[in-house]
Amino acid sequence: MLGEITKFFLSLSTLTFLPMLGAGVVMLLKIVLPEQKSLGRNVALLFSLIVLIQSIALFGYYAAGTCPIGNVPANANANASASPFVFACEHQSEFFPLVGSTWHVGIDGLSAAMILLTGILTPLAMLISYEIEENVHEHMALFLFFEMGLLGLFVSLDLFTFFLFWELSLVPMYFLINIWGGENRRYASFKFFLYAMGGSLGLLLAIQLISSVAGTMDIPTLVAMWPKNLNATGGALTLPFGASLETVKNIAFLAFFVAFAIKVPIWPFHTWLPDAHTEAPTAGSMLLAGVMLKLGAYGFLRLVIPLFPAQSQAFAPVIAILAMAGIILGALAAWGQTDFKRLVAYSSVNHMGFVVLGIAAFAAIYNTILTGGATSAEQMRSVTLATNGAVLQMFNHGLSSAGMFLLVGALYHKAHTRDLTKFGGLWTLIPVYGTLLIFTSMASLGLPGLGGFVSEFQVVAGSWWFFPTITAVSMLGLLMTGAYILKGIRAVLHGPVNEHWRDHHLEISPREVLALAPLVILILVTGVWPNWIMPVINQTVTRLFGL
Amino acid sequence: MNFSDLNILPWLIPIPPLVAFFVIILFAGRSKLLTHIIAIGAIFLSWLMSFYAVYTIVTQHKDLGTAAALGGKGVFASSVTWLVNGATGPGTATGALGMGVMLDPLNTIMLFMVPLACLLIFIYTLGYMAHDPRNTRFFAFLSLFAGAMLTLVVADNLLLLFIGWEVMGLCSYLLIGFWYEKPSAYQAAIKAFMTTRVGDVIMMIGIAYLWASTGTLSFRAILHNEDVLHKLATTPALGGFLGLTAAGLIGLCIVAGTIGKSAQFPLHVWLPDAMEGPTPVSAMIHAAAMVSAGVYLVIRMYPLLSAGGNPEAGVLTPPMILMSIVGSFTALFAATIAVSQNDIKKVLAYSTISQLGFMIAALGIGAYVAAAFHLITHAFFKALLFLGSGSVIHAMEHGEHAAHAAHEGHTAHDQGHVPDASPAHGGHEAPHAATEPIEHHEHPLHDPEPAFDPQDMRNMGGLGRNMPVTMWTFIIGGASLAGFPLITAGFWSKDEILADAWHLSAQSPLAVLVLVSLAVAAILTAFYTFRQIALTFWGEPRTEAAKFAQHNDGTAEARNISAQMTAPLIVLAFMAIVAGFAGVNPGFPIIGAITSRFFPQGAPFANFVGRTLLEAPEHLDFSWWPVLVSFSVFLIGVGMGYALYVRRQYALGQKDPMEDIVGADIYRILQKKYYVDEFYGWAFINPLRWIATTLVSQIVDKGIIDGTLNIIATSATWIGNLFREFNRVVIDGVSDGIPDAIADAGRSLRSVQSGHIQQYLLYALVAALWVGLNLILLAVFPLAVPWAALAQVVIAVLLILFFNVSGSRASN
Amino acid sequence: MVPLNAYLIVAAGLFSIGMFAALARRNVIAILMGVELMLNAVNINLVAFWRFLTPATEASSGLKVGMSGQAFAAFVFVVAAAEVAVGLALIISMYRNRRTVIAEDVDTLRY
Repeated sequence: MLGEITKFFLSLSTLTFLPMLGAGVVMLLKIVLPEQKSLGRNVALLFSLIVLIQSIALFGYYAAGTCPIGNVPANANANASASPFVFACEHQSEFFPLVGSTWHVGIDGLSAAMILLTGILTPLAMLISYEIEENVHEHMALFLFFEMGLLGLFVSLDLFTFFLFWELSLVPMYFLINIWGGENRRYASFKFFLYAMGGSLGLLLAIQLISSVAGTMDIPTLVAMWPKNLNATGGALTLPFGASLETVKNIAFLAFFVAFAIKVPIWPFHTWLPDAHTEAPTAGSMLLAGVMLKLGAYGFLRLVIPLFPAQSQAFAPVIAILAMAGIILGALAAWGQTDFKRLVAYSSVNHMGFVVLGIAAFAAIYNTILTGGATSAEQMRSVTLATNGAVLQMFNHGLSSAGMFLLVGALYHKAHTRDLTKFGGLWTLIPVYGTLLIFTSMASLGLPGLGGFVSEFQVVAGSWWFFPTITAVSMLGLLMTGAYILKGIRAVLHGPVNEHWRDHHLEISPREVLALAPLVILILVTGVWPNWIMPVINQTVTRLFGL
Repeated sequence: MNFSDLNILPWLIPIPPLVAFFVIILFAGRSKLLTHIIAIGAIFLSWLMSFYAVYTIVTQHKDLGTAAALGGKGVFASSVTWLVNGATGPGTATGALGMGVMLDPLNTIMLFMVPLACLLIFIYTLGYMAHDPRNTRFFAFLSLFAGAMLTLVVADNLLLLFIGWEVMGLCSYLLIGFWYEKPSAYQAAIKAFMTTRVGDVIMMIGIAYLWASTGTLSFRAILHNEDVLHKLATTPALGGFLGLTAAGLIGLCIVAGTIGKSAQFPLHVWLPDAMEGPTPVSAMIHAAAMVSAGVYLVIRMYPLLSAGGNPEAGVLTPPMILMSIVGSFTALFAATIAVSQNDIKKVLAYSTISQLGFMIAALGIGAYVAAAFHLITHAFFKALLFLGSGSVIHAMEHGEHAAHAAHEGHTAHDQGHVPDASPAHGGHEAPHAATEPIEHHEHPLHDPEPAFDPQDMRNMGGLGRNMPVTMWTFIIGGASLAGFPLITAGFWSKDEILADAWHLSAQSPLAVLVLVSLAVAAILTAFYTFRQIALTFWGEPRTEAAKFAQHNDGTAEARNISAQMTAPLIVLAFMAIVAGFAGVNPGFPIIGAITSRFFPQGAPFANFVGRTLLEAPEHLDFSWWPVLVSFSVFLIGVGMGYALYVRRQYALGQKDPMEDIVGADIYRILQKKYYVDEFYGWAFINPLRWIATTLVSQIVDKGIIDGTLNIIATSATWIGNLFREFNRVVIDGVSDGIPDAIADAGRSLRSVQSGHIQQYLLYALVAALWVGLNLILLAVFPLAVPWAALAQVVIAVLLILFFNVSGSRASN
Repeated sequence: MVPLNAYLIVAAGLFSIGMFAALARRNVIAILMGVELMLNAVNINLVAFWRFLTPATEASSGLKVGMSGQAFAAFVFVVAAAEVAVGLALIISMYRNRRTVIAEDVDTLRY
């Protein structure tokens, strides 16, 4: 009996839909007890905490290799076993037979890390949302809804449900920005939505194209068969409209690329990000930068390169150059800002550039590995390091950017301005905030000993073998990272005390410290002992490369 | 686990200060006393463990090291896997990154120097920062600094070294900007961080390349492995980039890191500005930690830097060529600036840059042992000089207050002022509005009098009378820096560098360059050191402040502070003399004979450190020429100093005697430090700022990308409008037109319905007549029916038009 | 025998008088009377045409058929009677409400 409960509790479907249940309960509370705002908040937080426990348990079980659900052997397609992805806690059942889609969920090291990140960040963001006073229930319910979209996407092993959750995560964020955002929220949310829809459109078409050509939407099956130009049952692909195979693949690749590139965002698809991040409410920015950007990178690692190895290989130098552009121009743009939140927003472009650089290294060699071409030991260890680094960088950036947005929001909430020129010398007035800001900034800067450094080093060291010049030039971006981080610290904390703020209470509140503390601890732990998470990621990556 | 095991012990050495940092920041920061106990206790614990390690090694493990020629038996080490990568197989084949510690001769001598210097600096800080309101935070940062340096020293791989390296960068940033209220302080902090980061990112490229080529970053796996070094030295870099080998390119990158961290030209600009930090920080940066780390790195990586070269035969590798050129140039360049500076700490800062140039240049020509030796001796005497200058500044501030007090009729012993400076009085040290005594508000920031600068040597003079201990220890340090022959440590180490350069000058023209520029730099060193001592301690006090300058004014607290600040000076002065005897060449007349009696195997330092390398560097035979050079450069320098600054007393407001000799223009260039800062601002910083604020954010992102999007959006809107127009005109026109026409007709016909019943009857009559007429027509003239019908339609249309027009007129 | 034309002329005259009254008189009662005259003129026509034009055919059942003219006339009587009843009632109601029996004064059915 207890085993059954555990199995139910830890099943990925429960994980996915529990937040939605929570959203429903919160909305019900709004109808029943509309005046009890704090009850709504607490219930929402409670649900996200349950999800946190689930995600920690899943991660722990996965890391230990003892997933209590086990794998469902009845995989609809035996060809999926040839996939380089191997999943745990798998479950598959009928979902939408008309389009050939099944409810297929499962996790590997990549998604386990992302689920953990989502599980950690959502309750913290909710804790920050306690400062919201209007439409509390809707706000909290949207967060839970958003969490469902994220978790669903990370567990989906079916293109259809993947796309479904991809879109579902978009809607609550649109409303979060549009309703609770800053002054320019309408423009920002609209831009955000249009950008995302622009990418999704191609993605949807490409998914339909693939499913009609290959006859399945199952990701493991597709990853095993599609690159070999075989359909789900091992037969030849049925090409539409007499198009050539090359055309079909190129079109699908480009559609996938653009959709995920917008989300990452890869330069030059990034201009929605500063607006959306800046205008979103603090908690929204935390999740937007912390998790949502990772959806794009996750798509690259899970779909784009495994499905299109040849195209990715041909495109890898372009990806690397765009990554470099993102790193350098993102850092420069961040340096040029006077709005603190916008500065932090641009830093995401800069940091996600490293993820993309690692992905480019992955793309540069994966096809060779897959087709059994000659690879040197240097290439193999470099690509493993770079890909590991990209995943870890996703995790680390999730922590540090959420922390930065939290701190910026904490200051904005009390000072009602984000203009860097209006602060100065605040360290004297707000010592605790100042210390936390410096810590988090340093994590963002990639100070060795903190999380960001480990992954940035991995990416740089791993990419070097494939793109020495691009990697070297990207280091210039790392230099500029220092410039904008120090600019932020300087403008807020250093200098003579700005007397205007002496009578204001700007010190960080205990609730905010409580929300920041887990991030700080994780950043430090990851920096000092990254091996707590690395084996989980490494195991999946290694298997991908057949090492 | 046996913690006295030397394989394990190095893990523990950096721990106490790091723990102290977190404990102070998180918990103990509110209590000064507790903070002091924790910080001093932690560094003391580190020192104790280090001392135990050094002592045990020196007494029991004399064969530590890898140089088989000297009977080396390997090193103490232990490591763990820190970051898995690839399949979890045995060893490092898949490039898993390990973390570990080790003890070899090189870091043993570092462990001798670093914790000791740190401990002394901590003790000194007790007194120096006693009245700073952020005293506890200072100790926390200082502890982190020490912990990072110790981490760097015990690291057995480049990555851990880099971690310590960068954390020190952070600490220097935090500490240089410790008085962050002052713009000059935070600007200096940012400058220090950014300038060293230039070197760091290049170094990171080198580390990345090294890892990619070898799959490991462990010193033992790379530096102690002939095969790896050979492979690196023979593989062309990146398929023949600039004709370099892999080792060459990696080496150049690593040297770039050192150029940043050890403030070599062209990245030297941050170090003089770093004087904005409290003086213990300067000592920490200049002696114990930061800049030493840079030199330590190149000494550590020397086997890689020299891989493929043979310095004894005059074959230098590209990194070595770079080091010898940069080092010798910097040594000379910084020395010429130092002679013209008036700020007591700035002189020392440039002298540090210059001395580091000595070490780098020495290593560049393969003088491995000499570089390491000079690193150690320099650390001691430079720490001494900085702490001494801190004492001087402290006393000058006090003197300034005392002079003010005396003028204003207060007692000279105004407690509140003793260690604390105010922005009103010079603004160089510690502006803290929060805790300052009330009187300070009587001297607002914008004092009409010109600000008094307690660091300006022109304001000093005759300080030796009130501060004999400071003066004598400072003189010892200065003598060591200047290379006072035979008894000071600086002499022996500098002599060894010159000797090495001398020996190599037959093989390599670069060695000649190094020899000449170092010799000239040494003359200047002796000169500016003498100038500094003369201006500060000798002669008559040139200002009121100098007359009152002292820190022990008799009160118990001041005595305490004075003791805390003086004791470290004495210990360091001792080290600044005796440390040198460990490296005396046994062939040196008389003194060599004496030291050989204690160390029968020859110079102990050279023997010991030499074992770090796989192949011990060869011992140099004693030669008279370099000794003569060492003697003469000292004498020339001191002689010049005596002639300019002692024979003719310098008076306040007078032109510096140097100015007459070199000419006003050149002197101004020297004082302005060759305008390097201005050049960087013009060439790099301002263009970059423009790029960041204008080009990237405005033009590219807002202009080009968003502009393109806007064009797309606008054209989409335009096309949409086009469709809308089409809809409106054609489709809506048809579908709306019919009801419109009906409505119009109805509107124009409604006048028919007048409500007058008789009118209706009339209509009925007319209609009946019309129908009747038509029927008659049909019956009588059937052939005319179509024409009649046409005529009737025409009439009907005309009638409708008539009614319409009249109707609309009526409505108008 | 009086020829058909005579009946028709009388009927036309009667119709014209009725129509004049209906069109030109302002009093509603006069209009109503005009209408009655017109109806009666039609009745004369109907009966006259029936008498002169309709052949008296005998159906197989022995009933005389071809009585349509008379039947129409009878309908018209009934209709006229009903019309007068309703019309007068309306006029009375109108007079009560509006205090007028002038047709032009009542145009509530105007557009």
